[in-house]
Formats: sequence, structure tokens, C-alpha cells
Amino acid sequence: MTLLDLAFTLVNGLATGMAVFLVAAGLTLIFGILKILNFAHGAFFMIGAYVAFSIVGSNPPSIWLFILAAVVAGVVVAALGFLADRTVLQRLRNVDEAYMLIATFAVLLICSGIVKLIWGVNYNSINPPPMLDGALIIGQLFIPSYSLFVIIAGIVVFLALDFAIHRTWLGKLLQSVAHDSWMAGLLGVNVPVALTATVIASFLLAGLAGGLLLANQTLSPILGESYLLLAFMAVIIGGLGNVRGAFIAAILLGVIESASSLLMPNMPGMATYIFVILFLLAKPQGLLGGQRI
Amino acid sequence: MSGMKLNGLKPLALVASAVAFASLPFWADQGIMFLAGLVLIEAVFALSWNLLFGFTGLASFGHAAFFAIGAYLTGYALRAALGIHFLLLILASGVLGAAVAVITGLVLLRRTTGIHLAIFTLALAEVLRIIIGYSTTLGREDGLASIPRPSLDLGLLVIDLSSGRSYYWFLCVAAGLLAWGLWVVCHGPFGRTLVSLRQDPERTAFMGVNVRAYRLGAFTISGGVASVSGALYAPWAQIVTPESAHWIHSTQPMLASLLGGVHAFWGPVLGTVLFSVINYLTRNLVGLAELVIGITLLVIVLAAPAGVMGLLESLQRKASKREGAEPVVELQRAERRAS
Repeated sequence: MTLLDLAFTLVNGLATGMAVFLVAAGLTLIFGILKILNFAHGAFFMIGAYVAFSIVGSNPPSIWLFILAAVVAGVVVAALGFLADRTVLQRLRNVDEAYMLIATFAVLLICSGIVKLIWGVNYNSINPPPMLDGALIIGQLFIPSYSLFVIIAGIVVFLALDFAIHRTWLGKLLQSVAHDSWMAGLLGVNVPVALTATVIASFLLAGLAGGLLLANQTLSPILGESYLLLAFMAVIIGGLGNVRGAFIAAILLGVIESASSLLMPNMPGMATYIFVILFLLAKPQGLLGGQRI
Repeated sequence: MSGMKLNGLKPLALVASAVAFASLPFWADQGIMFLAGLVLIEAVFALSWNLLFGFTGLASFGHAAFFAIGAYLTGYALRAALGIHFLLLILASGVLGAAVAVITGLVLLRRTTGIHLAIFTLALAEVLRIIIGYSTTLGREDGLASIPRPSLDLGLLVIDLSSGRSYYWFLCVAAGLLAWGLWVVCHGPFGRTLVSLRQDPERTAFMGVNVRAYRLGAFTISGGVASVSGALYAPWAQIVTPESAHWIHSTQPMLASLLGGVHAFWGPVLGTVLFSVINYLTRNLVGLAELVIGITLLVIVLAAPAGVMGLLESLQRKASKREGAEPVVELQRAERRAS
């Protein structure tokens, strides 16, 4: 393996990792505060992608419209998240986690049914907008601009989320709810509102991720699955609900995935799963476990 | 506890469904008979999962791995025409599934329960699926096709299972025996200990029960039975693909059990039947099947967490108006996590 291969693997891995993080961000937020492993997250990610697709079509005319479409997708999915919270999640607070999983799985089924009814079962492929269509060439290293865009988007979302959680009043409030919702309630925090706000933020992130990762994807009703498992792994390895942990874990998983597709091209995903199994056996509490959020 | 009426109704319902299943080839067409056979197999698969979840409180998300182990072992052996007795092949599938369950259980159950166990089992099943997809001997992504149906040598008589009808009846008998076996396990002292373990592992441990050994036992039996259901599946469908180990397949027994009722022994069977009926009725409408199943599940989880069986039992209780009626499930009370 040459140095070029290594650099290529790293950049690829970083792009994959950031894509995974974009999906995992909302997942880890909702897990950290509500302790829900949301199976429907992938489905809402997919809805976000379809909404963005409906706005920009197969050939997005400009990068700004592309980003705007992603934001609109985020807002639409956030609204759906509010609906899901009112109808489902709110009723299931304090229920055993297995039932929560089944409930969110049911939501996943409903979402994919709705997607099939509205957008059909056809496959659509979407090109990146003009500015992201090319590639950055450094010496012999070839980096697609869209990969670079995804990497930057992932880092921006991480920084924004990290700042919001660790530096703002609202974030600290949510931390206190995550840590001990009973005590937080006693001290005058409106816990139900805080939880609903978390759900909305998580769904917003899902929709945004769907829009941002739209290009270079095959848009089909099974899109939800493709990132969901990797995002789950990132959340678990990161330490169940720890945003910084999920960020590091996503990069780790991305690099492993891209290295394994170089070394073991016949077995896609194999190395990742084995890594997850071994990692959790060695360190069940995750990378940054113990400290939530 | 729930009155004479229910106790009288249950055997009646069981006998009626047994008769319905056994007589099916006489009044239904080939397609329905094939689906009914699948229902029998998936029902056993769901029962094996529910031994873990409904009785022991362990949620495995990779149960399809055991199903695939049995299906591939049997499918491969039948295609290779090794001349192994079919019953022995089924037994071998069960033993292999149980052995894999012991090994994974020894490693995983020491560490984890809950969400970690779910992710662990899911990852393991995915690893198995990838290995199968890679293995040329096991047909890669295409799977093993045209698996022959064997003949059953019972010493005095040899039953040819190659026709659909005869294999279907064989399935009826096999599923019935497996369900009966699981019923005995669940309702004996072993099963009672599992239930107390689900409700409160700590207290059960205080009472001198070796929690890990019991969990491992449940894991082993469950893995073995799931593997046998896979072994029954291979000659019935006559094709096995890596999809049988996919995590979507792992969710089938979960959904069926939840729909039917996880704390009732026959819940998973009822759930499997209901699922097949919904799937059959919505088969031509793209997207609608998922929508209907999703909404049904959601309504069940929200309104009747005890599933259809629990719903029936509470209706029964209301109808008989006995006083001192106790809640059907204790899930929200006992299983609410302290943290």
C-alpha cells in the first residue's frame, strides 16, 4: 500500500465517517436525552432526502439551492418529528426500551410505506450541483469536491451541536434533563417541553442529513437502511448518547470501512461489524461512556 | 386465574386451529398451502424468539442468524445428497444452532443485556450474512437453489416428502411437536424461573438462582429451536438466500410476538398468522402492506402492549365480571428501568 493509497483511504474514510455522523447526530441526541434508540431515524433521513429531491430534482441548479433544499427538508422532517412525538413517542415515555424499539420500528414501516405511496419504488440518482461536481487535485491525490462538502458539512454540524450543548443555556438545560429529569423538573425545568424540543432537533438533523447527502446516492425506498446500521454503531461505540463520542466513532468507522474496501473488497462491511463486536467486548461503555451528552 | 370460561376456550381454539391447519390441503389452493407452511415455520421461529424476550427478558436482534444456520446446513446437505437421514439432519441443525448460541451466549451474556445485547446480536448476524454472501460453497448472494425435498425413512415405512402435501403435513407435525416442547419448557420450573428473572433479575439472584446459567440456557434452547425452524424451511421453500440472515428477517419474530402478545405463550403464533393475513390481503398494493402493518403494530404497542392475546384476555375478564381482576401485564410496572 503506497502513501497515496493511504491518503486516499483516509480522505474517503473521513467522507464516509462524516456522512455517518450527519445521520448519527440526531440519533445520538435523542438517545442521550430520551434514551430512545430510534429505529425510525433512517426513515426520516430518507424522507428528508425525498423532500430535498422534490425541490431540486436530479440536477440541482446551484449549490445554494441544494443547501436550501436540505434546510427545507430539515424543517419538514422536524415538523413530522413534532407529530411523531405527539402521537407516539410522548405516550411511550418510561416504557421498557424494547417496546420503544418496536414502536419506532412501526414508525419506520409506516414511513417507508408512505414514501412508496408518494414517490413510488423507482430508483433516482442525483448529481451534485455544479460547484460540487468537480474534484480537488493535490499532487496525485484526487478528492471529489462533493466528498469535501460532506466532510465540511459534518464538521460544521458537529461544531454547532457541540456548541449548542456545551455552551448555551438551552444545552445545559437539556444536559440536566438527561442527567436527572426528576430533579430537573423539581428545580423548575419544564421537562416535557425540553424532551419535545430534543425530539424536534433530532428530526431536524435527520432531515438535514437526508438533504445534504442527497447527491451521489441512489434514492430509493431502501435508502433509510443504508446509513442506519452504521449510525447505530457510531452511537453505541461513541458511548450511547455522547455527541463527541459519536463524532470520533463515526470517523473511526468511516476509516475502517474505507480501509476494508481497499483490503477486503469482497466483504463489504465485514471489518466494521467485527470491529464493533470486539470494541464493545473490550469496552462496553463506549469511547466516552459514563458522561452522557 | 382468568376464569373457567377462558380455560375452556383455549384448548378449543388450539384444537380448532390444529384442525384448520391439518385440513388445509383439502380446501385451499397450492399458494395458500405454501403460505400456511411458511406460517408454521415462522411461528416456531417466533416462539423461539419469545422464549428469550417474553420469558427471559433478553431482546436478541440477530435471531435470524440461527434460522440461517439451520437453513443453510440442511439445504447444503440435501443438495449434496449426502444420504444423511432427514431427522438426523434436523437434529444436527438444532445442535449446531444451540452450540453457536452457547458460544455467543457465553461471551455476550457475561457482558450485556438490553440495548447492547441487541446491537451485539445484530452485528453478529450481519457478519454471518456477509460470510455467507462471500462463500462460493453456499452460493454467495444467489443462495442455494433447487433444494430437493427428502424422503423420510421411519424404519417400517418410508414417507416420500417430495410432494407439497406430504411435506406440508410433515411441517404440521414438526411444528406441533416443537411448540409442545417449548410449551413444556416454558411452563415447567425452568420457565417459571425465567419469568421471575425477567421481572427482577436482582431479586432472583438473591434467591440463589444462577442468573447467567439460566439466561444461557434460554439462549441455547432458543438458538437451537430457531435453527430447527430454519432446517424445516430449506426443503419447503427449496431455496435459501443470505436474506434469511438479514436483520429485517430478525425483526419478523419480534413483530409477530409483539402483535400477538409476548407474555402469552401462544401470542407469537397468533401474531405470525395475523401478519401473514395482512401481508396476503395487501400483497398487490405497493407500500400499503407496510403502512397497514406499521399502523397495526403502533396501535398495539400504544393501546394494548400485551398484544392481541392480552387484549382478548382482558376482554374476557371484563365479560366475566370477576372481581379482583389484576392487570394483564406487569411490563410497565416491573420492567420500567430505575435509571
